[in-house]
Amino acid sequence: MLLFNLLVQDWKKGLRSQGFYKNLAVSFILGIFAMYLAAILLFLGFSLHELLEKIHDNLNPMELFNGIMLYIFLIGLSFRFFMQQLNTFNMASYQTLPIKRATLINFFLLKPLINPINYFLLLVVVPFALQSVMGYYNEWMAFRFVISFVLMSWFNSLMAAFLKRKFGTSLLSFVTVIAILGSISMLEYFQVYSLFHISKSLFGFIVIKPLGLILPLMAVGIAFLLNKWFFSQNYYSEAFNKHTDGDKTYNADLSFLNRFGIVGEIMSLEIKLILRHNRTKSILYMSAFFLLYGLLFYTNPIYTKSSGMLFFVAMFVSGLLMFMFGQWVISWDSSHFDSLMTQNIPIRTYLDANYYLLLVFNVVCFVLTSPYFYFGKQIMYMHLAAFIFNVGVNIYLLLFMSTFNTKRIDLSKSSAMNYQGTTFKSFLIIMPIFFLPMLIVWLLTTFASISVALWTLTLLGTIGILLRNQLITLCVSQFNRRKYALAEGFREI
Amino acid sequence: MIKVSDLQKTYNGVTVLDIPALKIAQGESFGLVGNNGAGKTTFFRLILDLIEPTRGEVMIQNQKVMRNDAWKSTTGSFLDEGFLIDFLNPEEYFKFVGKLHHKSEGDIADFLESMQDFFNGEVLETKKLIRDFSKGNQKKIGIAASLLGDPKILILDEPFTALDPSSQIRLKRFLTDLQTQQNMTMLISSHDLNHITDICSRTVVLEKGQIVKDLQTNSYTLKELENYFAI
Repeated sequence: MLLFNLLVQDWKKGLRSQGFYKNLAVSFILGIFAMYLAAILLFLGFSLHELLEKIHDNLNPMELFNGIMLYIFLIGLSFRFFMQQLNTFNMASYQTLPIKRATLINFFLLKPLINPINYFLLLVVVPFALQSVMGYYNEWMAFRFVISFVLMSWFNSLMAAFLKRKFGTSLLSFVTVIAILGSISMLEYFQVYSLFHISKSLFGFIVIKPLGLILPLMAVGIAFLLNKWFFSQNYYSEAFNKHTDGDKTYNADLSFLNRFGIVGEIMSLEIKLILRHNRTKSILYMSAFFLLYGLLFYTNPIYTKSSGMLFFVAMFVSGLLMFMFGQWVISWDSSHFDSLMTQNIPIRTYLDANYYLLLVFNVVCFVLTSPYFYFGKQIMYMHLAAFIFNVGVNIYLLLFMSTFNTKRIDLSKSSAMNYQGTTFKSFLIIMPIFFLPMLIVWLLTTFASISVALWTLTLLGTIGILLRNQLITLCVSQFNRRKYALAEGFREI
Repeated sequence: MIKVSDLQKTYNGVTVLDIPALKIAQGESFGLVGNNGAGKTTFFRLILDLIEPTRGEVMIQNQKVMRNDAWKSTTGSFLDEGFLIDFLNPEEYFKFVGKLHHKSEGDIADFLESMQDFFNGEVLETKKLIRDFSKGNQKKIGIAASLLGDPKILILDEPFTALDPSSQIRLKRFLTDLQTQQNMTMLISSHDLNHITDICSRTVVLEKGQIVKDLQTNSYTLKELENYFAI
């Protein structure tokens, strides 16, 4: 009962938070996006049976699905490890009330399980179970199939929270997880050993044997107890919030930037900002995933024919960090905006620094995505044209447009799926930047050729690079126009 | 030094500040008192070009402050925590501000050495980020940083609140020294009438955005202010 009360209070907390109503437009767009995603998943769920039937081997669809189950499990776990937000319920205000600690801890642990995001994949699993598992076996197995999937996501959620609290998400753990995942898939690929077969027999056992469900139930129990154990070891909230504070100071040696004078100082300030806040760090992690976006498209024969789409992907991955941070370059500074405005920093220098920061981002992403050249000359030319277009056109557009994001951003809050500070405007800003070049490429390819399209964008980019000073001046006067609106917006907490 | 003419700020039709004319001479220590909502911070923000005046203008050294960068090199200020960069540690922050004023590492070290007394050993070499300091120590960091660029004009909003008694006394002595030795122009607001009359040669009372009193500080000033604010 008490647990239920706490849940209701937490729900109210969300509902009554300032951002909720102000940001109705954003919630609406996100809602549409969620529905779109749900529709795709549902569609996938209904067609999965047929898709898997087409694979010519002697396994039935459920066996195939079970075979990749451990992969889903591992990827899900690592994804949660980086993205899942730890519960930041304000314990202090409850700790002093006569509520048993165990109740609070249970609430703490079980709350994430009611998050609908846990059950999103059921949109695939349930139709599949109804169609395929019920077709090949019986309704009890279909039921057990679904339940085992739910238990798996519970286990993941609990385990990820435990690991995150225990070890924290540092760069090291990120690299470790990626390395583990990478080596497992390498082993599978070179057929050294097969997680697929282990997974198939393990989940086969769980689903087919009547008592098989005991196994995942036990796993969930163990994960739950591990969490309990963690909280019994760390009684006070200061102890278990330690890892989540993100206080760890990255003392990256940025002294090489000193050579660039005040511009260099501001750049190193911005880099420190990115490395020292949860929110910006999780964007960095997310970017690492997004860099792989190209693999989805460049390998897919459907897309290789549509040059507009391919160019969009090339532009997106080769300018990834710029797109992730660019629109917010000014908003990131919202908590110390007054400081920057009253210090001895000419506005032009401030914008120059942000320009060079975005330029560095572009170069880094371009280099990181150069392995995609392996997919052929066309992709290479696309990347080159996209890079020049990003540096010559998009960079100024983002700098210019970033003056419209006047909402204060709270950097201390993590993480993925954190849309605080996102407004309707942010979507309006990014839409044309994303889709106009795509449209240009598509039109020019249709009426002329792909090389005409790429040369046009390259030319536009080159003009932008040559007119750098004039374009920055334009951004400076725009910034000066918007300065007071920005300062006022950032002061509103 | 600072010239205000016909300055007005209106929010949704409500005038929160209205100063027809005001001049602050070089070396003057200008104290600003007034109840909450009197417009003290608004006035300071207008001087620092952080909000746009509805009418009129502020000039520092005969240059408009609006959308101008020139005044920034000679004006030091600390109004609230928004003037700090809280994810840096104090040393990094001082270094950053110092570099903006083209100071060498040696200059910055010398400056911090001279601040050791004021910091009371709690600020430097702690490896803590500024956001993890107490309000009082954050204030000390902010005030010190505002002085780092050898400003000709210093603007502090309620510098004494959140400071412990020893630091209050130290700061008071410190500000008086700066006036006598460097002839610095100062604008200081406070809710403590004693502090203001102690350090400021001129005291201005704001009420509902209007200047209602403009006094040259003498031995009767404190009494007069106390009478004014007593209801």
